[in-house]
Amino acid sequence: MAVYIHSVGVGVPSRRLAVADINSAWNRTGGRGTVAVCADDEDALTLAWSAANSAMQAAEIEPGSVDGLWWGVTRAPFAEGPSHSILAASLSLRPTAAGALTSGSTHCGIDALFAAADAVAAGTARIAVVVVSDALRAGLGTASETRCGAAAAAFILRSDEGPAALGARTTHSQPLLDRYRGDTENDTRDLYDGRLFREEIFVPIVSEVAGRLATSKPTAWSLPDPDGRLAAAVAKNASVPPDSITSSNVFATLGDTGAAACLLGSVGAFTRVGNVAVVAYGGGRASGITIDVNRAIPGAETAARDLQSDNASSSYADVLRFRRQLTPTGETIAMGVPPEAALFTRGANEMLQLLGGRCDDCGTINTPPSIHPHCIACGGPKMEPVELARTGIVHTFVINYTMPAPFVAPLPIAVIDLDDGSRVMLQVADDGSNVEIGARMQLLLRRYAYERGAPVYGFKAVPVRKESL
Amino acid sequence: MSWNKVAVVGAGLIKMGELFDQSYETMAAGAFAACVESVDKGFDPSQVEAAFVATQRGTLWGQEGIGGNTIPTAIGLVGIACTRIENACPSGSDAFRVGAMAVASGVHDVVLVIGVEKMRDKSTEEGLLSRAAAGHPIFTRGETAPVLFAPFATRHMAEFGTTREMLASVAVKNHFNGARDPYAHFQNEITIEQVLASAPVCHPLHLLDCCPQTDGAAAVLLVNADRAHEFTDKPVFVAGFGLATDHPYLHEKASFTEIKATGMAAERAYAMAGISPTDIDCAEVHDCFTITEILDIEDLGFFAKGDGGRASLEGDTALAGRIPVNTSGGLLAKGHPIGATGVAQITECWWQLRGQADKRQVEIRNGYALQHNAGGRGSGVAVVNILTNRR
Repeated sequence: MAVYIHSVGVGVPSRRLAVADINSAWNRTGGRGTVAVCADDEDALTLAWSAANSAMQAAEIEPGSVDGLWWGVTRAPFAEGPSHSILAASLSLRPTAAGALTSGSTHCGIDALFAAADAVAAGTARIAVVVVSDALRAGLGTASETRCGAAAAAFILRSDEGPAALGARTTHSQPLLDRYRGDTENDTRDLYDGRLFREEIFVPIVSEVAGRLATSKPTAWSLPDPDGRLAAAVAKNASVPPDSITSSNVFATLGDTGAAACLLGSVGAFTRVGNVAVVAYGGGRASGITIDVNRAIPGAETAARDLQSDNASSSYADVLRFRRQLTPTGETIAMGVPPEAALFTRGANEMLQLLGGRCDDCGTINTPPSIHPHCIACGGPKMEPVELARTGIVHTFVINYTMPAPFVAPLPIAVIDLDDGSRVMLQVADDGSNVEIGARMQLLLRRYAYERGAPVYGFKAVPVRKESL
Repeated sequence: MSWNKVAVVGAGLIKMGELFDQSYETMAAGAFAACVESVDKGFDPSQVEAAFVATQRGTLWGQEGIGGNTIPTAIGLVGIACTRIENACPSGSDAFRVGAMAVASGVHDVVLVIGVEKMRDKSTEEGLLSRAAAGHPIFTRGETAPVLFAPFATRHMAEFGTTREMLASVAVKNHFNGARDPYAHFQNEITIEQVLASAPVCHPLHLLDCCPQTDGAAAVLLVNADRAHEFTDKPVFVAGFGLATDHPYLHEKASFTEIKATGMAAERAYAMAGISPTDIDCAEVHDCFTITEILDIEDLGFFAKGDGGRASLEGDTALAGRIPVNTSGGLLAKGHPIGATGVAQITECWWQLRGQADKRQVEIRNGYALQHNAGGRGSGVAVVNILTNRR
């Protein structure tokens, strides 16, 4: 059965880091451009949420109609925890949704696409969400530190006819060691020998796959490019015209986005008719697939714009702190309630899906439902569960400057009147300079804390950018 | 026609401050001794039948469990009935209210109400600020105490044109009063410029808009009004009280320009005392932050809604103003040892009504003083007690 792409979405982190800033910290001069980096409340899961959310909106599908979520991320932010189910719940997918989490190397992104396509082709899923994301964390002072970026891309796949069809795929693999992170290590090591990697590992393996795809005469290419020069070497071997490589722009703007790079690099080709070759590499494996684009894919225009968006810059020291490579001496204040505790267990869904209870008697929305057996307005005892609106305006706010570690000032907190008439109080993911009474806000999934090794996710408010109003 | 079934015949407190050298028990004993000392005709401690102790954070900050048994031993009265009251910032006010009800019920004739709080035995980070990490993230994380009040300031400023200078004038006035109160934590006067220039704590509140962390204790003696003259010729009577609650979380508030529980508690207390806000000669109100006092003086009916900032800036609440507020220095200058705060405020009212407030003495025309606390999450608990020197 044929498999079609119905929409595309991307998730781009809010911060950029200048390569020159990293270089100067290591007493090296120069370095051009920036890489995309996560703020301290973003990670590969929140980026995946943004991308998948955008793709579902672009395809105009209800989350409840999704049959499965296939997520590729080199190492999930919660490597042995409920990463997949947290992402699925925060996207409001139904509890019976299937899918898989692929990881292990940057090749996992295309693994997720293949697995989802197989499920749709086999008829076990009619609507599949494929999302690929990464927020790479290179070892301090390694060469790849100046390249490692962060972002996510998502597709909605269906068996129903759509604007683009998945074509032939191919894989080539060799049991060769390249860049890796040991089992007990947090940071990715440098290459043992850059020339060895280029000449004997990357270029031969990727060229093999690219050469096979080249026979179908693709009009656009997404090629892996971990160091900014390797894609050109592959292109030369496989006779790929340089101006057909749509991924170059993404690498130049965001850096190496790991597992997300293969799909992100093809987004630029989805706004027009053509035959797109998508190639991924990681862990000694390369794989490729062709995509026949028959008309512009919904979401592609927005996605291409999001990839170029101009975001706030952060210093190298900030980024190290965000990645927890720079931590304060001494104890940080632990959360009053551990994330494994009963209160979190009761509140998990209402937190990740932003649930309220609408009073049967007076219509007031009470949130969260688990602490509101009676309506705050009329005392009524019957509530119907509802998902809260995701946009609203600031009623009042503060900016907190005085908190113990791990909190970092300034931290704005706002009371927001949501468009459905409910009211919430949430942290604002901003330094406060864009917060004012009446400001329009949207609610996005962010990471609130790392506690006892577990990331804790919930919604935060973000000022809606003027241009997207 | 006031209620007047219960009389206050003694009141005392210890000097407030960072009392690193005093234990919880020592502070309690000091306040009790000061209270006993204040009884005009002398008082034998063994006459105390029951005690109500207000301590808000005793069991939460790593001290031994403070139940009903710590205080009797600390003040040398082991064996008496004793109950701990914990009701957020109004714990002391509520202990007073419950104590008054115990006397009015006829069960006890002589009741001690004592408030004791150790705020500084833990570092600021591990103590008061650790609230930032409290609770489920869905209720927000980073919610330190100023976060509970600063949103009201933001909204009050936007709706009524209240300025930072108006907020600052509250701190200036309360420090002026505190400089005339030998029991106050801070005894220095400050200027509006100093308040404006102090470090931001939680926008729009700056350091001098915030009360300090203070250790302290205070105690008052309640007796059946018919027996008041056994102890003093100048008794002060409990004219009325009210306690009210509102939703605990800020996102459940209908309004960010009022503390609803304060208005409801005041209405109940005025009705019980049979008086109106214009009958009050002076008031000790909850000024944990400058904005809180502005909200209070509106919600208690002293000024129209939205007029509190102007009234503060123009001196209407100063010692010689239309309605003197926080003559003791308030929480901002005298300090806010949570459980002790309400009881210490009662002590100030007692002194004012008896003409013993020295450099802070205000003119007592109608014979009524009001005491108020609001607090808990979302300021969802408020207590108003009204005292009078008339029966």
